[in-house]
Amino acid sequence: MVVFATTTLIDILLIGLSGTLICLAVHFIPVGGAPAAMAQATGIGTGTVELAAGSGLVGLITSSYMYAYEPKAAMLLVMAAGAMGAAIMLASTMLAGGLIYAYGVAVPFASAQVKKDPITGERQDNYVSKGTQGQGIPTICFVSGVVGAALGGAGGGLIYFVLMQYYTPLIAGSAAAVAGVFTMGVFYVNSVIPSYGVGGTIEGVHDPKFRRVVPKDVFTSVIVSMLCGVVAILIAGGMV
Amino acid sequence: MVLDLTMSMAVLAIMGAIATIAGCIEDLESDVGSQSNPNSQVQLAPQMGLLHRIYNKAISGEPISNGFSAVIGGLVTNVLLNAKFFPLTAIVLGAFVAALIYGIFATTAYAGRVASQTRFKQPLYMDVMRYTTPSIIGHNFIVCFCLVSISYIQYAILGYPLSIPFLALIWGISVGAIGSSVGDVHYGGEREFQNREFGCGLNTALSGRIVRKAESGLRNSLDNVWFCAKFGGPATGIALGLTVFFSSWPTTIWGYTWTAMGVGVIILAVMTVMNRLVEINVKKSYGPYKEDKNEKEAAA
Amino acid sequence: MSDIKEISPENLAAFGIIGGLLGIYLSPLFPPYTSIFGALGAICAVIWGAEAVRRVAKYGLGTGVPSIGQIAMGMGIIAAMFGLAIMKSVTKDPRAIYAGPVLALVTASIIGFVIGWFAQNVIKMKIPVMVRCMTEIAASGALIIIGYSAAVAGNYDFMGSLILKVFDNGVILAVFWVGAMAMLHPFNACLGPDEKQKRLLYLAASTGAITMAVMGIAAIMTLGPMGVVTLVIGVILWLIFYKKFWDEVYKDAASVVGTGLIPKTEA
Repeated sequence: MVVFATTTLIDILLIGLSGTLICLAVHFIPVGGAPAAMAQATGIGTGTVELAAGSGLVGLITSSYMYAYEPKAAMLLVMAAGAMGAAIMLASTMLAGGLIYAYGVAVPFASAQVKKDPITGERQDNYVSKGTQGQGIPTICFVSGVVGAALGGAGGGLIYFVLMQYYTPLIAGSAAAVAGVFTMGVFYVNSVIPSYGVGGTIEGVHDPKFRRVVPKDVFTSVIVSMLCGVVAILIAGGMV
Repeated sequence: MVLDLTMSMAVLAIMGAIATIAGCIEDLESDVGSQSNPNSQVQLAPQMGLLHRIYNKAISGEPISNGFSAVIGGLVTNVLLNAKFFPLTAIVLGAFVAALIYGIFATTAYAGRVASQTRFKQPLYMDVMRYTTPSIIGHNFIVCFCLVSISYIQYAILGYPLSIPFLALIWGISVGAIGSSVGDVHYGGEREFQNREFGCGLNTALSGRIVRKAESGLRNSLDNVWFCAKFGGPATGIALGLTVFFSSWPTTIWGYTWTAMGVGVIILAVMTVMNRLVEINVKKSYGPYKEDKNEKEAAA
Repeated sequence: MSDIKEISPENLAAFGIIGGLLGIYLSPLFPPYTSIFGALGAICAVIWGAEAVRRVAKYGLGTGVPSIGQIAMGMGIIAAMFGLAIMKSVTKDPRAIYAGPVLALVTASIIGFVIGWFAQNVIKMKIPVMVRCMTEIAASGALIIIGYSAAVAGNYDFMGSLILKVFDNGVILAVFWVGAMAMLHPFNACLGPDEKQKRLLYLAASTGAITMAVMGIAAIMTLGPMGVVTLVIGVILWLIFYKKFWDEVYKDAASVVGTGLIPKTEA
């Protein structure tokens, strides 16, 4: 059996933390779901789960590559690599999506949740088209999305890093595969739970929903991720 | 990896180019069958009494379905590579198998969804099934080929630690996430409601009232591709190309250092500013939907 | 649609658990010839999982049907890895490996129960069947993963063969993703007010059989000619159930026409 030393405990907490980062990422990324695809709601026109997963997993690619070629890389650097990959993926998506809203559907960007954009200070309410919940990706949503994706990518990088520390001494060549698959499992569990919490759509950090749902979603994610962390470390015990 | 800088930049550029093609075709493929979020309108239309001749390809959301075809493609490619096939042959055959299975799932989704709408009298058109499904398979073949190629390059040339199916799956999920957030807006926001005034914004009350007539005759799913190929598809391609290129570019040049991360932050800042410029431009050109109350009073 | 007799969830759960476990336990008997039972067992679990997805997704989850298939596989893969690996650290007895699949099933049920409980009571989703279905979905997810993996690796020994034959070459990702699709696609494809259980179950069997065929291709790499057998039987099963699905479609659809204009309606 694995000895539950202090380091083990810290690692479990780190996996819990990474789950929390992924959970927060879902709240930060402005997702409008199906209505946004019809320009009827502010945010990106797709589902919360897949967007968080899509960006976070690109982060997993960059951070795993970094871990493979700089095995001595600091934990923070691996997390930063994941964050950068994920944030660039989401920023490109929002930029191209914004072009479609602007020139393909011809609607001005506006948020229905706030009267003034907290970053640019621009009026939002009179740009909201009749019968909709806003449209496009205003600056606040863009920034919130980039931050969110970075959190998700960092979270994915963190789990991968912690698990690699455990598995590499035991199953050298296969550690990346096992840690990668486990990361993916934790990723999906932690991006679906908050998606249920937000009910499929959220505008980002300025949305009143953000404050309402973040505490309980984060609480759930911490517990579930720590459970996953315990499981992950026990698996290492079976690899001897 | 052991490539020198010029060579790794060349590989990166090729990957960016392949990704651009994949992104573009992925979006068009989702428009052929009407998938993902805009499909909710196609699904809703019969309920509003508006029967139609549009394919209803509900193979889950795009990220999942593209991940699905990419992972099968990657798996089959892996099996063939293991049997000492030439890489290009292996990728082509892998993509072909994946696209066929994808096509099968598409047929069950169309048939299943229509059969579950019996009470709205929506007929199941077999000719729509016959000429749209091959187009879906064809588009998906190109997407899958591109994604597995990227994965092969990353695995065999750049030496990523994850296997080909793993990388293919992740790129499949990403291309789907990007396709459904970028290109689908063009299909859902504009093409499905083309009979409304351009830029009017879509009132939620219009939900389900999609355009069913084409320039000549009844609109089918292939007409939608024709339209979306002009903007939605290419924009999606650019987004995926940017993702693939810029997520590796800083680390290719500056290595795995904090400098590279700094460059990444600069790229993000530039993108944010570009989005802001588009926002300003659009707000200035189109103006607000309703005038400010105070301004109105002042004018009065 | 109470006039149509449906198979009860309990019967389907029993079918999934017994069929799934039976297939998994049969798979290492005469390697590699019995590996095919792993896939057959997984098909039973797919049918059970599809029905569980149907019951919970009927309520509308706010994020679409696919998310539940994803979380199922996320929970399933964590539990499967845990269940199969853990016994080695508890005891050195080689027979302990037989406990693996059952342990994975139990772990998955526990994780599913915890997540379901949180979804119901902390996130407050207000779906009465949430806890039960989450448990069932996670459990069937674990069985699907072990079953298809066993079909590719020949047995379910985590350290001895799964890591080498399923994880290293990336087959596990196909098990993960294609298995999730097999489970979530039936309800997603049949979504609508006139959805019927019979059609959905045939479709679940057909998607499970396609997954089996894909695993057959993968098994050619790991088990050699036996993979071809899995592939061929998978394709045959798929043909049977695909045909049955279409028969149901012809029966259920308002009309199936070769071509034609849009029929006139009141609107």
